[in-house]
Amino acid sequence: MNMNNQKIEFLKNKKLEIMKKVILSLVLVLSTSTFFAQSVFDKFDGQDDIATVIVNKKMFSLLSKMEVKDKETQQYVNLIKKLDNLKVFVTSSDKKADEMKAVSEKYIKTSALEELMRINDKGKSVKIFVKSGSTESQIKELMMFVEGGSKDESVLMSLTGDFDLNELSILTDKMNLPGGAELKKASKTKTTK
Amino acid sequence: MRIALYITIAVSLFFTSCSNEPTLQKYFVENSEKKNFIVLDVAPSIINVDETKLSADQKIALASFDNMNVLAFKLDKNNKAEFETESKKIKEILKGKEYQELMKYGSGKDAASISFVGDENNIKEFVLFGKKEENGFAVVRITGKDMNPNNIMNIISILKSSNINMEQLKPLQALMK
Repeated sequence: MNMNNQKIEFLKNKKLEIMKKVILSLVLVLSTSTFFAQSVFDKFDGQDDIATVIVNKKMFSLLSKMEVKDKETQQYVNLIKKLDNLKVFVTSSDKKADEMKAVSEKYIKTSALEELMRINDKGKSVKIFVKSGSTESQIKELMMFVEGGSKDESVLMSLTGDFDLNELSILTDKMNLPGGAELKKASKTKTTK
Repeated sequence: MRIALYITIAVSLFFTSCSNEPTLQKYFVENSEKKNFIVLDVAPSIINVDETKLSADQKIALASFDNMNVLAFKLDKNNKAEFETESKKIKEILKGKEYQELMKYGSGKDAASISFVGDENNIKEFVLFGKKEENGFAVVRITGKDMNPNNIMNIISILKSSNINMEQLKPLQALMK
């Protein structure tokens, strides 16, 4: 009887230990993947031939603390609250554009981004990828790559947070984001679906 | 007794941590006398405005703003190497824990960033950094108490309606040439 009890106790302990290990490794994997997500584009920052704009969460939360009176700006502030990070990389060098393309393609695969839309127009291609959240239109991350070809600049943009795709049109109206027109189309197609 | 001991330890830790970390303030002091550098202190009086015409919010905002210090490095043919090391030094300082970066812009040659010290509702210091390959770089510290986004918006609204006293900014003109 006593022996049996001990055995059960031992097994229980073992189970707990395994659970702990699983949880720990899960945490590790998750934390490294978010770490990875942050650093994957960061290598473009500060390079020659690449212009970078980075807006951090602190900026968004500061902006969202502003008191606003009119409704339109209020909508804008509501969206800003939900944003974490905005990174934009612009280059006119073909070599850097290829590098950006390679990194973004790899990133799409490793972090399971879905293609939202793709536009080809006069040698210029725009691709928009998203990582969906709890609902279909809820977005955790939006990545856009504009391939300028030989004439135009190439743009890589990454926006993270927890926002609704439909809200994005407000942002593109207010800020002068590259590819704003395309994004507006994207948010419309998603709602009519 | 024990409490006293803890306090001394805490205080000494506080001081050592202060003296170890390079701060912008220190950097300003150390370099203000050197050549190539232009230093400028701007008092709130630069906002030349009739206080009786301000709203209550605007008054609070103006009171939260203390001082603006500018340190600029003027680049010429002979100090290119120094320019590189000094701008690197500032970048290192701004990477410190105390300075929280809000946003930045950079291309290979030029760079700009905005950071702040304090927390979101009580900003003690804003730091603006700008670098241009042809001209040099400049660091601007805006210090105050209890600055917050609304106060900043109000300051901007004051600035719009005021006639800024340009006399105080004269030394900076050398940088633009």
